[in-house]
Amino acid sequence: MKLLIVDDSRTMRSILASYARPLGFTVTEAVDGKDALEQIARHQPFDAVLIDWDMPVMNGIELLRILRSNPTYANWKLMMVTAQSSMSAVTAAVEMGANDYLMKPLTEEMFQDKMRCLELVA
Amino acid sequence: MDASIQQQLIADLLVESFEGLDRYDHELLQIESGTAGADSLNVIFRVIHTIKGTAGCLGLSHIQRVAHTGENLLDLLRSGGISASPEMISALLKLSDALRSMLRSLEASGSEGDADHSPLISLLDRLQEPLGAVEPIVPAPVASPASSVVQSQCAEPIPATSAPGADAGFGFFDDDLAPVQMPEPLFPAPVPTPAPFPEAAAPSAGSGAGAAAGSPAASVSAGAPPAENAGRSNAEDSAIRVDVAHLDRLMNLVGELVLARNQILQKAGVVQDPTLLSTAQRLNVITTELQEGVMKTRMQPIGNVWTRFPRIVRDVSAELGKKVRLYMEGRETELDRTIIEAIKDPLIHIVRNAIDHGIESPERRVAAGKPEEGALVLRAYHEGGQVIIEIADDGAGINAEKVRARALRDGRITPEQAARMPDREAFNLVFLPGLSTAEKITNVSGRGVGMDVVKTNIERIGGSIELLSELGSGTTLRIKIPLTLAIIPALIVTSGGERFAIPQVSLVELVRIDTAGEGRGIESLYGAPVYRLRERLLPLAMLDRELGIVPAEAATPGSETGSNLIVLQADGRQFGLVVDEINDTQEIVVKPLSKIFRSLTCYAGATIMGDGRVALILDVLGLAQRAAVLSDATAQAAAVDPNRAASVLANREKLLLIEAGGGSRLAIPLSSVDRLEEFERSRFEWSGGRQVIQYRGGILPLVPLNRLVPNLPEPEESSDNAQVVVHSSGGRSVGILVGHVSDIVEEEGSERSAGDGSGLLGSTVIQGRVVDLFDPTRLHLSAH
Repeated sequence: MKLLIVDDSRTMRSILASYARPLGFTVTEAVDGKDALEQIARHQPFDAVLIDWDMPVMNGIELLRILRSNPTYANWKLMMVTAQSSMSAVTAAVEMGANDYLMKPLTEEMFQDKMRCLELVA
Repeated sequence: MDASIQQQLIADLLVESFEGLDRYDHELLQIESGTAGADSLNVIFRVIHTIKGTAGCLGLSHIQRVAHTGENLLDLLRSGGISASPEMISALLKLSDALRSMLRSLEASGSEGDADHSPLISLLDRLQEPLGAVEPIVPAPVASPASSVVQSQCAEPIPATSAPGADAGFGFFDDDLAPVQMPEPLFPAPVPTPAPFPEAAAPSAGSGAGAAAGSPAASVSAGAPPAENAGRSNAEDSAIRVDVAHLDRLMNLVGELVLARNQILQKAGVVQDPTLLSTAQRLNVITTELQEGVMKTRMQPIGNVWTRFPRIVRDVSAELGKKVRLYMEGRETELDRTIIEAIKDPLIHIVRNAIDHGIESPERRVAAGKPEEGALVLRAYHEGGQVIIEIADDGAGINAEKVRARALRDGRITPEQAARMPDREAFNLVFLPGLSTAEKITNVSGRGVGMDVVKTNIERIGGSIELLSELGSGTTLRIKIPLTLAIIPALIVTSGGERFAIPQVSLVELVRIDTAGEGRGIESLYGAPVYRLRERLLPLAMLDRELGIVPAEAATPGSETGSNLIVLQADGRQFGLVVDEINDTQEIVVKPLSKIFRSLTCYAGATIMGDGRVALILDVLGLAQRAAVLSDATAQAAAVDPNRAASVLANREKLLLIEAGGGSRLAIPLSSVDRLEEFERSRFEWSGGRQVIQYRGGILPLVPLNRLVPNLPEPEESSDNAQVVVHSSGGRSVGILVGHVSDIVEEEGSERSAGDGSGLLGSTVIQGRVVDLFDPTRLHLSAH
């Protein structure tokens, strides 16, 4: 299982990776949307991509749009990582093709739960 | 998460945050000097946003909270809602100082420190008000510190002083309240200059606002409706803001006081000293009043939260092109403030969802024969020690079939489960995390995104949420919140020599089971103990056995001589708990159990009794689950449906078939027949107005069957002998004069119809004929 974590915060990437590794994921990290596209070009395919909402250079929604407009990535699970503040933003992301979302602050249990929902782990 | 990983993550957070804050200061100063690049605001926003997000994930709630307030302000700045002023820059610099000090404390001591940052939070909140940006709807209350543009928040801790979702229409209420909420010493009397915030002194935002419309005090009195305003400002004058932590501490102390009082009262009862007794009584009264007083300080009417809803409903429905009328009932219902805080955001989310996914567009409503305008009802009331909040709409409802199909496709339920699952349960699948995906939002008229978050938040405060829906006519969400405060009334019982407390909330009634003799007490149904309580089978749990105080095989059910039965309610169903002794009801102080014992679901906590000994508080639901009195299908059916219960109990039992004369037939369960006797009528005697016969060295009262069962003909006394069914219960016997015993048959398990409440158990079909069933156990007492 390969997971790409896209977040401009190193700490956030570490947190997500620390949740993901025990579940058996191989983790690749990217610091923004543009970097994510480069990582994808180099290391694809991925089973899932966790995308932070607000990032410099290329934000998460833009990355989501690009990934979803390319049929190559149709089977990848795309999850938006967002602050809890905006439910309408989450709705928009889901309508744009995100498979699910993770809300900050999140716990390891929430993370595991969502991964199970997406059938990425048993 | 592993502690060392947590340590590592916190170290990462510290490094990244310090770096970020340096960049933040740098960019902020560039903005101030007018040399900032286009991206500066995005950079500083992102720094705070990241700190907030990562701190939240690592459980650093203070940092998260302070950062959150800053983030709101920066978001407004970034989106151009407001423009940066010098005092805003200095406030934002204070923000980075505050965050740095907390991070340093975290670095040094591992905790965020307990410095009070509420002045800063208030300041940042207040700066979010649009200066001079008067919303046209409300003309005067310009100085509204809370008539903000803040987006609504969901399930995120919001500083009490911020007023997200506040608005022009209701903004001026918040407006009025804002000074009350300030933690700093304030000047309640009308002061000439609006400077209630010492640290915002000089050319503060306050004066900026004041410049737009005179001093806040003046503008408020000019703008708000006079009567309302007068009442409010008086209330403000007499109100102060108290840190919740203080109230919690007070509550805790009162709890301890209650314990001490209970101990003294008990002592006083033993010592029999009149002086001590009267002093103790006084202490008792005062403690009770103090306790109520402290509890009251924490209570708030739910209407406080609801004031925001008319605007939310108006905005959301306008946005979606729907017409919705909002009704609110029970806004005075009071709740503990911590609970109010916790349900605020879930409620907003539910209301939005109801308008978005529940209520249809005007065209579709008209097409469905409904009024164009949808109705949304918010209702709150107290019920059985709980607060119930309902959010009901008259919209399209939820298609249970689609939810089932969806859950099935996601592998959440098996096909068998799906087939068996009643609609009511299917609806509640929408609370599963992840059932909120794109397809669901667009295709199913369900409530999609984030219902799992709502549910989690409700359950976190010990509440529950359920969804009822009818396709085409609407959906109701019912939230039940138990008032699990620190002090609860409880029933103290003894079992196996130990004392236990049972929260009064789950208590239905107390029953003394008299089993002086054999039989009519605890019965066994498929090996599980049950008790017949008013025509209903109650599944039973023996407390001592469930808790392992006595070994499970020590006694067989029903052998107790004189048991105490406590009828309890859990999860909407009832069951009986058998205990040795029922002692007393008491106010007890709930002490949480240590982590090690958390997995013991039978216990909700512990308390200290008057004599200083510890008693465990039973968790009724946990206990019921352990004893399987709720899940066992048979017991469940029995508890729910008395008629079915009787049939389950009696199915396939042997029946005594009686020709009652005049062609009537009657059947008596053989299990309630002790003996069949044939007596010579000449042996009948009269005693005390009743027919009796000497039988086995005693006197057996005799009752003709037609006295017990209505509409039976007089028994034919054609022969010299009478057939008598002897029935015994509780050490007594009675002889029932029946016409003629014709047969003993086995019931084929056919469904019985319900009895009519007289002596009849119901009817069944035997050998192709309808036969009434008569149960002597029910009439035993009246026969005496």
